[in-house]
Amino acid sequence: MVWKACFTHDIRAITPVLSSLLLMVVAVAAMAIATTATYVITTNLRENMSERLIIEDVWFNPSTGNIQVYLHNIGKIAIHFSAIYVNHTSQPFASPSSFEMNEHCWINVSRSWTSGTLYYMDVVTTRGTHVEDYYEAP
Amino acid sequence: MLKTTMKHLKFSKRGISNVIVVMLSLVLLVIVVANVILWSYQMNQLDWERMREDIAITDVCASGGGTLFAFKNTGSLTSHIVAVWVNNATRHHRYEKNVFINSGDNASYIWSDINLPNKPYNVKVVTERGNTAIFSSG
Repeated sequence: MVWKACFTHDIRAITPVLSSLLLMVVAVAAMAIATTATYVITTNLRENMSERLIIEDVWFNPSTGNIQVYLHNIGKIAIHFSAIYVNHTSQPFASPSSFEMNEHCWINVSRSWTSGTLYYMDVVTTRGTHVEDYYEAP
Repeated sequence: MLKTTMKHLKFSKRGISNVIVVMLSLVLLVIVVANVILWSYQMNQLDWERMREDIAITDVCASGGGTLFAFKNTGSLTSHIVAVWVNNATRHHRYEKNVFINSGDNASYIWSDINLPNKPYNVKVVTERGNTAIFSSG
């Protein structure tokens, strides 16, 4: 009881304790922020490096008049498409906008084509990966 | 002289916080760099393997109720064929396959689910690493 009374009524040396506590809180917060930032930066770099995408096939479909592109995700992470360019012009496309690992699918590009013309196709992901090539319509 | 210096270092607590901060920062830095380098190495390994893979379609012909495909793996790595494309002007068809061809091997397969269209047509195989080999019917 005497000890309790001594601790509750004696306010000497409170300032160093408080300062130490505050310093600890600041240090822990700073380390938490630094660790989180490290994790985010590392994850972003890893994701950017892990993207691999191939165009398996391009079909200038005569029955629909559109261009169909078959894409295959061969990377180690899911891919989200941001745009498809045909001759440097963004085209609307109807397909799943994201592919999981090892997923593959047709993408229908709503654009008419002319036989014998060369087309420059460019598929862009949200992380900035480009898969591009020239294809000649039959 | 050495004894005096050690004694001085042992009892002097000035500059300890700086040392701790530098050590913690170094740990974070090492984690970031190691993570990025290791992942980069792994992805470079994949790209390197993809470049070394070399597979060719030596023959495609109708056989019995199906189609005979002959492959030659001239690369130094085992190839894993995951898809076969049979394309002509009016049809682009992808067949899922799961075939491994050892380095330096010639392999032939008769697939009854594949029927060749009228000439001219192209046959294309896709490997797991994202490489393709093409055979044109002429």
